[in-house]
Amino acid sequence: MKRHQRAKRGIGQEVRRAGDEDLIGLVAGGDERALSELYDRYSRPVYATGMRLLGDTQLAEELVQDAFTSVWRSAASFDPSRASFATWLYRIARNRATDLDRRRRVRPRSAGEHGLYALPGGPLPEEAVDAWDVANALSRLPSEHREVLELAYFEDLSQREISRQTGIPLGTIKSRTTAALKRLRQAIASPAPREARGE
Amino acid sequence: MSEDRFEHLLGPYVLGELTDAEKQELERHLESCATCRENLDDVRYAHGTLKTAGGGPPPELKEWVLARVRAEARQSTTAGWKAWLPAAAAVLLIAAVLGFGLLRMVSGPSDGLALTSTSAAPQAGGELRGEQVGENFKVELEAWGLPEPRAGEYYEMWYAREGGERISCGTFQAQKDGHTTVNMSAPASAVAYPEVEVTLEPDDGDPGSSGKVVLKGSLRNLGA
Repeated sequence: MKRHQRAKRGIGQEVRRAGDEDLIGLVAGGDERALSELYDRYSRPVYATGMRLLGDTQLAEELVQDAFTSVWRSAASFDPSRASFATWLYRIARNRATDLDRRRRVRPRSAGEHGLYALPGGPLPEEAVDAWDVANALSRLPSEHREVLELAYFEDLSQREISRQTGIPLGTIKSRTTAALKRLRQAIASPAPREARGE
Repeated sequence: MSEDRFEHLLGPYVLGELTDAEKQELERHLESCATCRENLDDVRYAHGTLKTAGGGPPPELKEWVLARVRAEARQSTTAGWKAWLPAAAAVLLIAAVLGFGLLRMVSGPSDGLALTSTSAAPQAGGELRGEQVGENFKVELEAWGLPEPRAGEYYEMWYAREGGERISCGTFQAQKDGHTTVNMSAPASAVAYPEVEVTLEPDDGDPGSSGKVVLKGSLRNLGA
């Protein structure tokens, strides 16, 4: 079993089922499991944003570290009446990407390195936007649907391996994967993903 | 095969996980079933978005992030050492003038400096606390999760600044469980060295840093 998956198994089901806004409330109370769950849900779009805006794997990783450390430090200031968690995190990531780019500008660039794309406020490249859409839509799926999709697409497990790992019959995994994909399609089509980008 | 059964196979179909027989049977059914073709379009769309969203940060990065927030949590619950902090107005004035380094640690609003791990020791964490004694500084380093050194190796703490200049703060060994608390001192000149590093050093007689950093922190971040 992969390390990522072992960690996930240790997380309580209530955390896996919780919505983003409930999780950030738990983080504000010092719950590391809740931060771990939010990381699982949103580290990909933050990383994708870093790659698209900064074009450098090290800086993109630094962006992920800084963004989630900020989530930990600033969780108590999150106001769900003003924005969704995804919108809030996206703004944190974008602001931090600006800082990282500013820091990079004080040193000479190496060959192939380029400046920050599309900041501040400009349209984002399509791939980065899609990553936020997918993460936000996934976070709104029932946890059992989210789990089969994460195992299949992010952990690269076959349907048979998912069945073995979860202890759920193979036939159920197959039908659940289909149902999860259909629900994901509906979730992506709903208005929430556009709000997540702060548009 | 029933209608429901065909529909349940759409996910495994786009994932390429059907047997040849199942695939042929489903494809024959799709030719005559508009509802299943419509469902297949939805499933394919979701499949495509997940495929493009697949790339993420390296798995070990999560451990780094959690170790970092764990170190901060430890720091915020550590209260007893506050007696270390001198409140002398003169120190605050010097800190305001110089604005960096050890003076911030001993006089600033932060509770101490959390040290973060590196890829050389992803499970490690640490905290640096200090006080000013005359013109020098006395610092206490608490570290945990340090890998066990090989024979002859030892740990060394450094103050560093841009350009690679370093001042050694002292050497130490960790306990078998990777935990240690050590007291060290630093000269007054260390105020100009805002970066802190803990390195793993080989016993090769070279007094310089090996560059194998296991913990790091910046005194610039205190109170930020």
